[in-house]
Amino acid sequence: MSLLQDDHAFELLEALIAESPADETEATLECIEERFVRFAPSGPTQSADRERYELALRVRFEVPGGGFREARATVGTLDRDEARAALQRAVTLARLAAPSPDAVPLGGPVEIQATAPQRPTQDHTFREKNQWIARALERSEAEGLLGAGLAATHVGNRTLVNSAGRRVHAARSRASFSMSANDVHGAAGRGGAGSAEQIEANVDRLDVDALVERAVSTALRSRDPAPFAPRELTVVLEPRAVAALLLFAGFGAQDYAEGSSFLCGRVGERIFPDDLRLTEEPGTAHSPGWVFDGEGSPVQRVELLRAGAFTGPLTDGRWAKQLGLPNTGHALPQPSADGPAARNMVLSTGHAPLEELIAGVEDGLLVSQLHYVNVSEPRDLVLTGMTRNGTFRIQGGHIVGPVRNLRFTASWIDALTRVTGVGSKLERAGALFEGECSAPALRIDGFRFTSSSSF
Amino acid sequence: MLELAERAVRAALACGAEYADARIVRSAAEELCLRNGALVEGSAPFEFGLGIRVLVQGTFGFAAAPGTHRELADLIPGVARRATRAARDLAATRRRKIELAPLTPSVGEHRTPVAEDPFGVPLEEKLELLRAADAGLAAKVAGEPTGAELVVREARMSFRRAEHWLATSEGTRVHQVLVRSGGGIAATASAGGVVERRSYPNSFGGDYHTGGFEVVRALDLAREAPRVRAEALALSVAPPCPAGRRTLILGPAQLMLQIHESVGHPTELDRALGEEIDLAGASFATVDGLGRMRFGSPLVNLYGDSTEPGGLDTRGFDDEGVPSVAFDIVRDGVFVGYHTSREWAAQVQETASTGTLRAEGWWAPPIVRMTNLSLRPGHGTLAELLASTEDGAIYADTVKMWSIDQRRLNFQFTCEVGYEVVGGKLGRLFRSPTYQGTTPEFWGGCDAIAGPSEWRLHGVPNCGKGNPMQIAEMSHGAAPARFRGVEFVAL
Repeated sequence: MSLLQDDHAFELLEALIAESPADETEATLECIEERFVRFAPSGPTQSADRERYELALRVRFEVPGGGFREARATVGTLDRDEARAALQRAVTLARLAAPSPDAVPLGGPVEIQATAPQRPTQDHTFREKNQWIARALERSEAEGLLGAGLAATHVGNRTLVNSAGRRVHAARSRASFSMSANDVHGAAGRGGAGSAEQIEANVDRLDVDALVERAVSTALRSRDPAPFAPRELTVVLEPRAVAALLLFAGFGAQDYAEGSSFLCGRVGERIFPDDLRLTEEPGTAHSPGWVFDGEGSPVQRVELLRAGAFTGPLTDGRWAKQLGLPNTGHALPQPSADGPAARNMVLSTGHAPLEELIAGVEDGLLVSQLHYVNVSEPRDLVLTGMTRNGTFRIQGGHIVGPVRNLRFTASWIDALTRVTGVGSKLERAGALFEGECSAPALRIDGFRFTSSSSF
Repeated sequence: MLELAERAVRAALACGAEYADARIVRSAAEELCLRNGALVEGSAPFEFGLGIRVLVQGTFGFAAAPGTHRELADLIPGVARRATRAARDLAATRRRKIELAPLTPSVGEHRTPVAEDPFGVPLEEKLELLRAADAGLAAKVAGEPTGAELVVREARMSFRRAEHWLATSEGTRVHQVLVRSGGGIAATASAGGVVERRSYPNSFGGDYHTGGFEVVRALDLAREAPRVRAEALALSVAPPCPAGRRTLILGPAQLMLQIHESVGHPTELDRALGEEIDLAGASFATVDGLGRMRFGSPLVNLYGDSTEPGGLDTRGFDDEGVPSVAFDIVRDGVFVGYHTSREWAAQVQETASTGTLRAEGWWAPPIVRMTNLSLRPGHGTLAELLASTEDGAIYADTVKMWSIDQRRLNFQFTCEVGYEVVGGKLGRLFRSPTYQGTTPEFWGGCDAIAGPSEWRLHGVPNCGKGNPMQIAEMSHGAAPARFRGVEFVAL
């Protein structure tokens, strides 16, 4: 058992702070236990049963006239001598650091309810994961498809103590099952793919059979995709596709202040449909996420898009002071070259089931998932990426057949102004790179596809 | 420490493993970043731990735990037991037993050649070097574009020393000390709502090589800072690169990404066999095309080389003890080779692995990763290449944005800078040149590659693969190359 209980973690961190010669010291300990199995058509391919620690020491020396010299050192063990050595490295670095005149003093005590890992997630075994994998492979093989995916459980806790009296401790639990079913390399070789993913705090909430069925049925429906000429048209983006785009909207105050954010010139401007509501949420018992940030500040619930307009950026201690805004609790571990950013966005559901969104499309596409999305231009949030795992032509309000994958290049901000329908079912999803959020399906007019693939 | 690794292997065998390897890794790093003059990253991470990989009933299991030298001996029995239990619990769903390609046990040591230990250079000196570079970025000069301002200055350097001990149940005993160093500068300028960034010597926080502090000294960041500032400001007022089909000349700081995404990943054998399909995807370079499929024009020769001097993946052995080698991937435009491991080499009846199995750290199971992968140079200089190119072509360089499909065919990349070729020379500056293509057609349009004097090796410090994702480092070398009939996209 590698997760330190809160009292042990507080004791360890407070002892280190007591040894620090710095004007201000912050100590953070993150403990992680993780078990995952990756599977492919050949069966389980990689697995790991592992634990990790990250002990971080941030020290600061006041600069006459304002600001601090600060630095951070981390160590991956709990060995006391190594921790002391890390403290010394941080002190040495900080004494020589160029001052950060904008740095604000460490925050004092805050009220945060300590949380514990979810036991079902923590105790979930390889044998149980293998039962999921057996079902996924057998169902895929029965249809001549290649099944592949990941079964993972992860629990961790984070404790932060600082010399200003802040003491916070919380846990995070995450269980996920994801799979894709592919005909790309299959004997029939007809193309077509489907995928499904579910992410929960409590492993018992995962419905693996439903996920397997969804991936397999989408793959079967997307066999023999037809070529499709790229152009602008109406799309229904399923929740995972919406999430892949939404994750690039960081809402960070640093980008905003430096002029590179899509928020610049748009805060308060009513340009979006009223039924689009976006919030940033702290973690809950049902949603993996932290309840305090890298400075130990409580993660606030923030309405990011309300009444058709963006409300403003997310902040940390430094940017809150600089911009005269409340601290929303979105700091990365400090010091950091990167500013605050959203970590757990939720795009609120509407009232339309997916079938109803599709029924409202005269000529368009249903997109299940997007792949390798990246930012081409930050001010208008122009994104590019590929469709994946099921792209379907819609005509006269009905799905008429699968089409080959397409590349889109489109402003996500402009696209949000043209939302004509919001789905009724919320899903939590990640993307190829880090991060995850929760989103419903969206129907969007005038979505720009710029090239196509041969599969 | 090798004795501890051997003890871990014996413990795994005692738990029922048919094969076992144990890696102990101790790593230290230093990351320094000045942002607008203030130290916003001053960190010194330290990692130490043990990972044991086993085969039980033809199935891999892996377990890992952190620990110092004092703690490792006590950790070994538990980690060995967990690894073998994982493999045993998963074996029932294996469709075929994993076999490993033959390997004569490796016994040896490799140390990165280091002229100047980066951890021995005083911090004051490192910070002074960064301050000088920052001052160069900050200094205004006469004649800067009206309405343009520099909004962000960054100067950074980073060092890592990783010591690996590997023992296997087949008798491999390997000790390696790998050191890499690097740094870079970047300036972000804004004008009328346009925000553009210029980097040196590359984006991704700079450029990195195996070696010591001499790598950073050679970058001469302070010398380049005024040019980087000027180019960032010029980009912020430059017109966007126009759309349309035309000739493209890519510089080495962009070709590195072109090679990485469109050649490196699709030639990782696990991908080609569909075993990475759930997240990163598969590959158009399937096994039936090996030795036959046309990957590019006859000028195109690409090779993997984990012995390349200065390469980020330059070492003596991979993470299962296979000695480093050089091998062809594309020869005279034909696809001829894969990045492999012992497991995947055996799967396609190769007699030996190309030695590209690596893990992010002690905590991760090793997976196939592309190694240093480079384009062989052709002839002549960049000036000669430009002189032989028609007006209206675009010379573009330095990675800004990248996206590629799940079979590594359809890509769209944006560079930091583009210049119109006029009269055989670089002319008007364009911002955000964005080109789109399909991999074999794109490489098939390569009709000229500059010579060895223009060849540059650039490091990729942030390659992601696997699920959960693991980060690996490697380098790509290239001289400027010309591609015909490339589609440029308007953003």
